[in-house]
Amino acid sequence: MSVTHDEVRRIARLAELDVGEEALPLLAEQMSRILEYVAQINAVPASEGVKPFVPGPDAVRFRPDEVRPAPLAFGPAELAPAFRDGFFLVPKLGQFEQEEG
Amino acid sequence: MSDPSEALASAKGAADRIVKVKRLNACLTPIKELRKSLVAQASAAHPSGVLYGMPVAVKDNICTLEFTTSCGSRILEGYRSPYDATAVAKLRAAGALIAGKTNCDEFGMGSSTEHSAYGRSLHPFDKTRVPGGSSGGSAVLVAAGAVPAALGSETGGSVRQPASLCGVVGIKPTYGRVSRYGLVAFGSSLDQIGVLGRSVHDAARVLSVISGRDPKDSTCEERDSLRLPTVPESLQGFVIGVPKEYFPQELDPAVRRACDRAIRLLRELGAAVREVSLPHTVYAVATYYIIAPAEASSNLARYDGARYGPRFDGSEDVRALYRTTRGEGFGPEVRRRVLVGTYVLSSGYYDAYYRKAQQMRALIAQDFRNVFDRGVDLLFTPTTPTPAFKAGEKLNDPVAMYLSDIFTVTANLAGLPAISVPIGRIRGLPVGGQLIGQAFLEDEMLEAAYALERAVPAGEEA
Repeated sequence: MSVTHDEVRRIARLAELDVGEEALPLLAEQMSRILEYVAQINAVPASEGVKPFVPGPDAVRFRPDEVRPAPLAFGPAELAPAFRDGFFLVPKLGQFEQEEG
Repeated sequence: MSDPSEALASAKGAADRIVKVKRLNACLTPIKELRKSLVAQASAAHPSGVLYGMPVAVKDNICTLEFTTSCGSRILEGYRSPYDATAVAKLRAAGALIAGKTNCDEFGMGSSTEHSAYGRSLHPFDKTRVPGGSSGGSAVLVAAGAVPAALGSETGGSVRQPASLCGVVGIKPTYGRVSRYGLVAFGSSLDQIGVLGRSVHDAARVLSVISGRDPKDSTCEERDSLRLPTVPESLQGFVIGVPKEYFPQELDPAVRRACDRAIRLLRELGAAVREVSLPHTVYAVATYYIIAPAEASSNLARYDGARYGPRFDGSEDVRALYRTTRGEGFGPEVRRRVLVGTYVLSSGYYDAYYRKAQQMRALIAQDFRNVFDRGVDLLFTPTTPTPAFKAGEKLNDPVAMYLSDIFTVTANLAGLPAISVPIGRIRGLPVGGQLIGQAFLEDEMLEAAYALERAVPAGEEA
C-alpha cells in the first residue's frame, strides 16, 4: 500500500486540512505504513454474516420532546472567535460555492 | 472527612503538592488559579458528600466550568466550557475538589503524552522516559502523590497504559457505565471516562461516584451507580482465564516474569487459573486504528475556527478559514489520524477498511463472549508489552507507538471493563497487570483487583 503525494492532497482537501508541500513526503510515507499495517485484517476471510458490533444500549432511548432551557453558563458569543447579533461571523462563501457548483 | 477545616487543609495540601511536581508538566492549570479555586471549592463543598475534601485532578479533554479545557491542543487554546461534564458534576456533588486539568496527548490521540501542544509530561521516576498516554498527566499526578485520584479517558487504553507505566491503578469501565456527556469526543463508540488512583480503593470510590445513568447521554446505560465490593478474603470460586495471545514470544521477559508471579499469587488466593484463547486478538490494533481514526475524522470536523477556539485568520473565504485553522491548530498526530480516518471512509476504500474493521470488531467481541460463556469470570494479561519507554523513541514511528496499546485496545473494542494494577518493577520502572471483566460486572473485577493488589509486592523487581 503506497499513498502518493496526490492522494494525500486529495484526502487533505476532503478533510478540510491545510497540508504544506514540505510535509507531503513524510505524511505519505507514514500514511502508507499505517495503511499497510491495518490492511492485515483483510487476511481474515470475508464474513458477511457477521453483524457490526457496537457497544452500549441495544436501542436509542427517546426523551420527551420538550423545550428546556439550555444548561449553559454562557452562550456562543463568549465562545466564538467572531459573533454578532446572534450569528457566527465567517469570511465569504465564494470559493466553496464555486467548487461545489 | 466531614470537617470544613480538614477539607480546606486538603485543598491547600493538593495545591502545594502540585507545585512541587511542576517540573513534570502534568498539570496545565496555572497554580495561582488552581490554589484560589481549590480553596473556594473546599469552602463550598457539602460535608455529607462521600468524597468530601478529596482532590481529584481531571484530564484536559473533560469539560469543567472552571479552568480551560484545551484537550492538549492549540485549536482549543484558552477554551472555557459553558458546562461541567456529568462526571465532574457528580464529583462536585459528592464533595470532591477538582484539582486542575491534566496534560494529555492532543484529543487523547497518543500513548506517551508527547503529542500535547503544551509540552510532554515527564515520567515521575525517570524524566528521560514517557509516562504513557494519553492520560499521562493524570497518571503522573497520582504517581507523584499530588492527588489520590484523577479522571482520565480511554479510547484504546489511555487510562490503563499510563497507569501501568507510572505504577498506579487505572480503571476503564464498561462502555455505558459512565456518562460521556462533557467528554470531548474522539472515537464515540470507544470513548469512556476512566479513573486513575493510588490504590484500587481510591480509584473504585471515584468510579462509583461518577457511574450511573444520565439522560444527557443516550449511550449511558439505565443503571444505578456501581456498588463497591468488599475486599475478599480469598478468590475461591473465581475462574481466571489467561489468554495465550497476550503472551507472545517477543514479550519482554521481565514483563512475563511479573505476570507469572501475579498469576501464581492469584492461584494462591484460591482462583482457578486456566489458559484460554482469544484468536482474533492479533488483529485488534489494526482494527482499532481503522475505527478510531474514522470516528475521529468525523468528530473533529467541528473544529473549524467558526464556533469556538481560536481562529487562525487571514483567510479569503470560509473554506480557506477551515483549512488554515485546522492545519495550524491540529498537531502532527491528530493531522495524521484525521487523514487516515478520512482515507478509510472515502469512496472506494470504505469496504476494504471500515466495513471490514467493523466485522473484525464483532469477531473480537465474540472471542470474549465465547470465553466468558465457558465459565471464565475474568481474564488476566499484561497491561503493556514493556515498561516506560524513552521520550522520542517512538515519536517518528506511528505504528510502533500504536503497538504500545496492543493489550488494551481489545477491551475498548468489545466495550468491556478492565483494570491495570501494579505488579512489580523492571529495572526500577513499574509495570501493570490487567484484569478484564464481563460487561457491567466491575464489582467482580474490583474484588479480584483488591486481592491481587494486597498480595503482589508491587515495589519489588520482577
